[in-house]
Amino acid sequence: MKSTFVIIAAVLLLVLSFLLFTNIAVFQRGYGNAKYHLADGVGPVLQVLKTPTRSVSYVLDNYVNLIDVKRRNEELKKKVETLELETQKIPELEKENERLKGLLKLVEQQPNDLIAARIVGEDVMNWFKCVIIDKGRYAGIKEKMPVITPSGIVGQAVEVHDWHTKVMVVNDTNSAVDVYVSGKNARGIAEGTGQTALKLKYVTKNDEVEVGDKLITSGKDAIFPKGLAVGIVISVNKNRAGLFSDVDVMPFNNFKKLDEVLVVKR
Amino acid sequence: MIRKAVCLAFGVFLMIFESSLSSFLPLEVAKPDLGVPFIIYGTFFLSPAEGLLAAVLFGFTQEILSNSPAGALVFTNVALLLSCIFLKNRLYIESRYTFSLVCGAAVLSESFIFLALSLLSKGETKNIYNVLVFSIPDAIMTAFISLFMFRFFEQLKIRYMSRV
Repeated sequence: MKSTFVIIAAVLLLVLSFLLFTNIAVFQRGYGNAKYHLADGVGPVLQVLKTPTRSVSYVLDNYVNLIDVKRRNEELKKKVETLELETQKIPELEKENERLKGLLKLVEQQPNDLIAARIVGEDVMNWFKCVIIDKGRYAGIKEKMPVITPSGIVGQAVEVHDWHTKVMVVNDTNSAVDVYVSGKNARGIAEGTGQTALKLKYVTKNDEVEVGDKLITSGKDAIFPKGLAVGIVISVNKNRAGLFSDVDVMPFNNFKKLDEVLVVKR
Repeated sequence: MIRKAVCLAFGVFLMIFESSLSSFLPLEVAKPDLGVPFIIYGTFFLSPAEGLLAAVLFGFTQEILSNSPAGALVFTNVALLLSCIFLKNRLYIESRYTFSLVCGAAVLSESFIFLALSLLSKGETKNIYNVLVFSIPDAIMTAFISLFMFRFFEQLKIRYMSRV
């Protein structure tokens, strides 16, 4: 009897979530509100977890490096281990210093327009690509604000909570950015594929797009400001049926290695 | 009741920890679905009501920590729960290895449920390749982790839940 009730409840939930998935406004609003309030609790937990997970990552990085050194230098094992431990921190700090200098330079250029944030979480599903940053509504972030680094665009804020923000990365399958091919009269839409590379769509076969061309945002999608770096063309295939070329683009940012980002205020 | 709630809260914490950890570690190839072992254990070893609670809670948490469309992950988790309820008297989970195998298969079926949902409701096919590419490594990773989770659940059951 109890099992029957559970089955009925499950079927009702199934129907409800299906209606939510189909973007019916009434359901979306209620669900959005519930999600917004419950998700507020996640931000502080992620902030707290940031420090131990960074330490775990640091320890694992060191461990992997040590195994590598051990394999290559059997005789000098002990010495190398000690030296590695001492010196490994320096390049990491140098890299971080460089990165922060770049961010600072950008912030100094437009001090009122950028909000610096750190990545504290990532999408738990492989099917979608998003990152969670440690700044939210209280820091002045709003939905659809572009997120960038000195290297190029990262994505856009899709869900803003009090203490954290979910950022849809440009390689998510739901992401599309209007772009120009730098220095050439060609325009297209850079769409996420769920993999590392992006697809540049709607570029006609007559357009002069070549491998190595750089893409910049056109500003016409009303999300990203004009002129931000997006990526570089890595392959162009014109030998296919249809009007358009098949163009692959490698983003300038490595989304797996992001630590700090900037949110552009609009 | 409180102990079951603590167990569910631990599951939610694990998911948040996974999200935090995957931003620092290269977990992109295989991300375990930590909700699946809870749903399967709840349905097969406790009661379908517990399974339903786990399915909704973990589906919702996954949606909070993911860029998935609203309702998608709750749908896949609840559909998985329904399959588990119907298989409860037909499938015999005798050890942690069988449990791990069922968890792996559940992750694979979740992928197919999600693809079917996308195709039926929106006619979308652009995510198919992405979902299919990751479904097998995800299933293997989940199956591996569920070996330990089964042990954890059994310990918890022996120590606390049997007394409830």
